[in-house]
Amino acid sequence: MHFGGIYEDEIVGKAYDRKLLRRFLGYLAPYRRLAVASLLLLPLIAAAKLAQPWLIKIAIDGHIVSGKMEGLPLLAFWYFSLILADGFLTYLEIYLLQLMGQKVMFDMRTGLFAHIQRLSASFFDRTPTGSLVTRVTSDVEALGEMFTAGIISIVGDILVLVGIVSIMLWMNLKLSLVTFTVLPVLIYFVFAFRNRMRTSFREVRARLSNMNSFLAESIGGMAVIQLFNRQETEQREFTRLNASYRDANLPVITWDAALFAAVEALSSIAVGLIIWYGGGEIISGTLTFGALVAFIQYMEKFFSPIRDLSAKYSIMQGAMAALERIFGLMDTEAAPGKIPLNPPFSKGEAPNANHTVLPPLTKGGRGGFSPIETIAFRDVWFAYNSADYVLKNFNLTIRKGEKIALVGETGGGKTTVTRLLSRFYEVDQGSITMDGRDIREMPLQSLRRRIGVILQEPFLFSGTIAYNISLGDVAARSRMEQAAAMVGADRFIMNLPQRFDEEVRERGVNFSVGERQLISFARAVAFDPEILVLDEATSSVDSASERLIQDGLKGLLTGRTSLVVAHRLSTIRDADRIVVIHKGEKAEEGSHEELMAVQGLYYRLYQLQFKD
Amino acid sequence: MLAAANGIALLIPWLLKLAVESLEKPAASAHAPGYYGLAIIAAAAAHGVVRIFSRTTLLHAGRRIEYRIRQDLYARLISLDLPYFSGERTGDILSRFSNDLTNVRMLVGFGILNVVNTIIVYASALSLMGRIDPVLTMCAVIPYPLMILLVKKVSRRIFHHSKRAQEELAALTSHAEETFAATAVVKAYRQEESRLASFNELSGRYLASSMRMTSLRGIVIPFMASVAGLGMLIVLFVGGGRVINGAMTLGDFVAFNSYLAMLIWPTVVLGWILNLVQRGAASMGRLNAVLDAKATVVDSASPIVPEDLCGEIEIRGLSFGYHGEPLLKNISLRIKAGMRLGIVGPVGCGKTTLVRLLARLYPVADGMIFLDGTDINHLPLKLLRNAIGFVPQESFLFSRTIGENIAYGREGATDEEVREAARMSRLDGDVCGFPSGYDTTVGERGVTLSGGQKQRTAIARALLKDPAVLIMDDPLSAVDARTEEEILGGLAQYYGRRTVLLVSHRLSALRGCDLIVILDEGRIAEQGTHDELLALNGRYAAIHREQNLRDEIERL
Repeated sequence: MHFGGIYEDEIVGKAYDRKLLRRFLGYLAPYRRLAVASLLLLPLIAAAKLAQPWLIKIAIDGHIVSGKMEGLPLLAFWYFSLILADGFLTYLEIYLLQLMGQKVMFDMRTGLFAHIQRLSASFFDRTPTGSLVTRVTSDVEALGEMFTAGIISIVGDILVLVGIVSIMLWMNLKLSLVTFTVLPVLIYFVFAFRNRMRTSFREVRARLSNMNSFLAESIGGMAVIQLFNRQETEQREFTRLNASYRDANLPVITWDAALFAAVEALSSIAVGLIIWYGGGEIISGTLTFGALVAFIQYMEKFFSPIRDLSAKYSIMQGAMAALERIFGLMDTEAAPGKIPLNPPFSKGEAPNANHTVLPPLTKGGRGGFSPIETIAFRDVWFAYNSADYVLKNFNLTIRKGEKIALVGETGGGKTTVTRLLSRFYEVDQGSITMDGRDIREMPLQSLRRRIGVILQEPFLFSGTIAYNISLGDVAARSRMEQAAAMVGADRFIMNLPQRFDEEVRERGVNFSVGERQLISFARAVAFDPEILVLDEATSSVDSASERLIQDGLKGLLTGRTSLVVAHRLSTIRDADRIVVIHKGEKAEEGSHEELMAVQGLYYRLYQLQFKD
Repeated sequence: MLAAANGIALLIPWLLKLAVESLEKPAASAHAPGYYGLAIIAAAAAHGVVRIFSRTTLLHAGRRIEYRIRQDLYARLISLDLPYFSGERTGDILSRFSNDLTNVRMLVGFGILNVVNTIIVYASALSLMGRIDPVLTMCAVIPYPLMILLVKKVSRRIFHHSKRAQEELAALTSHAEETFAATAVVKAYRQEESRLASFNELSGRYLASSMRMTSLRGIVIPFMASVAGLGMLIVLFVGGGRVINGAMTLGDFVAFNSYLAMLIWPTVVLGWILNLVQRGAASMGRLNAVLDAKATVVDSASPIVPEDLCGEIEIRGLSFGYHGEPLLKNISLRIKAGMRLGIVGPVGCGKTTLVRLLARLYPVADGMIFLDGTDINHLPLKLLRNAIGFVPQESFLFSRTIGENIAYGREGATDEEVREAARMSRLDGDVCGFPSGYDTTVGERGVTLSGGQKQRTAIARALLKDPAVLIMDDPLSAVDARTEEEILGGLAQYYGRRTVLLVSHRLSALRGCDLIVILDEGRIAEQGTHDELLALNGRYAAIHREQNLRDEIERL
């Protein structure tokens, strides 16, 4: 079976290398000094390398051929010093380059991570976690290989090449020109392979991402796979993805090998040319013997950086493909209309590493914010998929301290209303305002700071219970125990050996769903929000816990503006107003008594759901 | 192939030597220098062709081995049980599959290629050098033992640091995976900055350990180059002298130098391989940890294969704990085939654990749980799980279409059967409202569906399996009581002769049950029919009163 849809990571389209590189250079900019230092080392290293054959030439022509032994030890000493200098400088160079590379990777990873977090909820709906993880890790690592291989040393390699070419030309013009006839062939190869390699690498990276997405899902759903005895089906699908990844890699190897072999062969051919042509010159006496030997040695030195370059070539192409993907994700900003035009952390809320501690919240004025008096939904239209409107011309005004219950059938649009309020999604038409100010104009962070959301399905992080309630927030932490008691979570927490410091495993697997629910309630309480949005889960907890939560919530809701997707009659009865949403439209609005009196939709819903 | 490539490669300096000799004494030489030049070109071309094949073959082999290891890893993973997965982090496993595997592949591909290359080049170059001048050869290799010494010293540290770096990378991956999966919470609680801060910290740690690796690695390559250069120096000094006093021809000297030059590249590469080997070994260790992981829930050595399972369950003195401390204590229960059992109890009392054990999601000691009189540990796992339809408390859906998710229940299910299952779980109405119906993709873990829709999909999936035992662990917590009752009521006909276990917090959902068990702190506190339990006037009756009272109040 071939599963369609989400595992198919698309291949990011071609981008211009120059553009990619220019953007990449932007990341190098903060490390100018390191770059300059490593660049400065290059001519020194090149000189140390180039001087070595020169010394050999002197040794042969000046001493060995003529039989003069004296002076040879001095030459040997210089040669030895050069080797040491060469080694030391090369080490320094490698270290500086790696340092720069690691720092650039760090910045890129951070930038990417921060950017992904700014993307909208709808982006996460369609992008598998595994694929995002691949971008942040594997793709960035592929970039790192470029540094390990030494992107800067390419500059050095070219420098060495230029040096060798000049020396060779200076030594013997004709012989050099004969030797260099191999160059056009080499250049042809390099360009012919570039596009093919890049195309293959794009495939490789996209398929790796697909495989990782599939794998991540397998791990998450292992219990289901095993309960339904579907190991073989999954293994088959994995085999398909794995084989497709392997096969995408094979052409890259072939191109790489061909290039490498071409360079090797051309280097020997060049030596052959030297002998063939230079031999004649020696016989005719226009070339000294030592010069020929030095020439051959230069030729070998000439090809060593080229060999190097060709070995790096496929890594470079791979890194460029990774860059395309990284920048591609960074450019994912706006699928038109759907994704909040996030001011990427507005002024004063810069995402600096030492994250901002919330100001202590009090019920009147919230840390400098004046409380919201009115929230208004005006003619709101919204669709998750274009034109399939979930909300149609929705209007609602909520005043400070009011408790609004949203009721209606599943899929009617209740949850959507709450999501729009927190700007998880952006309205298609109409507006949502707070005290007349469009929420799209408010900094996202300060908007969400006002709103506490309790999700239907609790999510726990790996860490401790304390972390999961406070999420590292100092103010929330100080209210942690009180919050846990308020929702009745303390009952089971106090029975744990480590209490609040008890370890929570990934996604809270070591706690029951009901316990997770309680922890997530405690979290909302601890954050003490001005506006509470609650997507009521209807059960998952026993009656006793439910009663505790109900009581806790009652306290929590008092004095707060709240919007509740209600399933319990008790919640509904307590509401100041009930809004009935039917097929995306507001059908009725009013208090329980009013709506019952009308004998409309609510009346029927009530009869159907709550009355025996 | 490699030998051929290297053979030709060695031929070239030999030709060079002959060429130089022909230049020195044109009269004594058999051929003109031009002849040797052409011969070198021909050899080079042949060398190139052979090289392409040898390199391609080996590196392809590396990729194939990587593929095989990955297949094995996945096969192992899929056979491991929940105790394993509850101790691992998703990102860590992901990291092993990609980053560690890459290190291993580099080792087998490039590593082997270059080791073989190096050995061949060393062996042939040294023997040819020996033929030219044994004494000089001895002198030339003096620095090499130095190299071995350093290699030994550095190796272990590279291994150690590499392992650290891989672990840091895995931690980084896990953190990213968790954060992206938790988007909703992160956004709602504005944790973007704090998650970024902790990500940065991990990223910084990875940077630091990578740099420690680098500073070690950085030594090796220049050192290797220096060792090779030192050899050159000795040859120049000693060999030069020998040429001067006539013990060696100039041609021999040049050829000797060429051979020695041939050793430089493989020697440098050797340093690089050393790196690969250490990193590969460290990573292989991490892969082996997965490959060697043993599932505790496995088929018994002497499985009992019954003809047909009708679903009678017996639990005898079952005690169980995840980490030593018992969560379930001495539970005994007999559930006749075709019976409907309801399970209630407070949060964390062991309801989910109990039903998980029936499907052997966690290991259970022998002699505690029996299906049709056979200890479930002796039933083939596949058979046991085929007999059980399970609706987990958290409805995990795959990011495939709704139709595929329901069809997951049974291999080869027809569209009609899928639709029928959806009808029974009251999902069909919702699906018809989706633009692409059953072909709607549900997003990762079903994110694009509402909680109730997910749960009903999971129910449909289990119904489609047509099992002897149907276990539903709080299957409709996301819908209201009335809808839950309606859906469950609609299933009565489907139940037929199946044994049904239903966990719920709402007593109203358990109305049709033949037997209701109240669990409290891992023990059976009460059991009986609805009426018996009411008459007992214990916990059940208390919960009943409370839930009723609430209904009453609400109805006022």
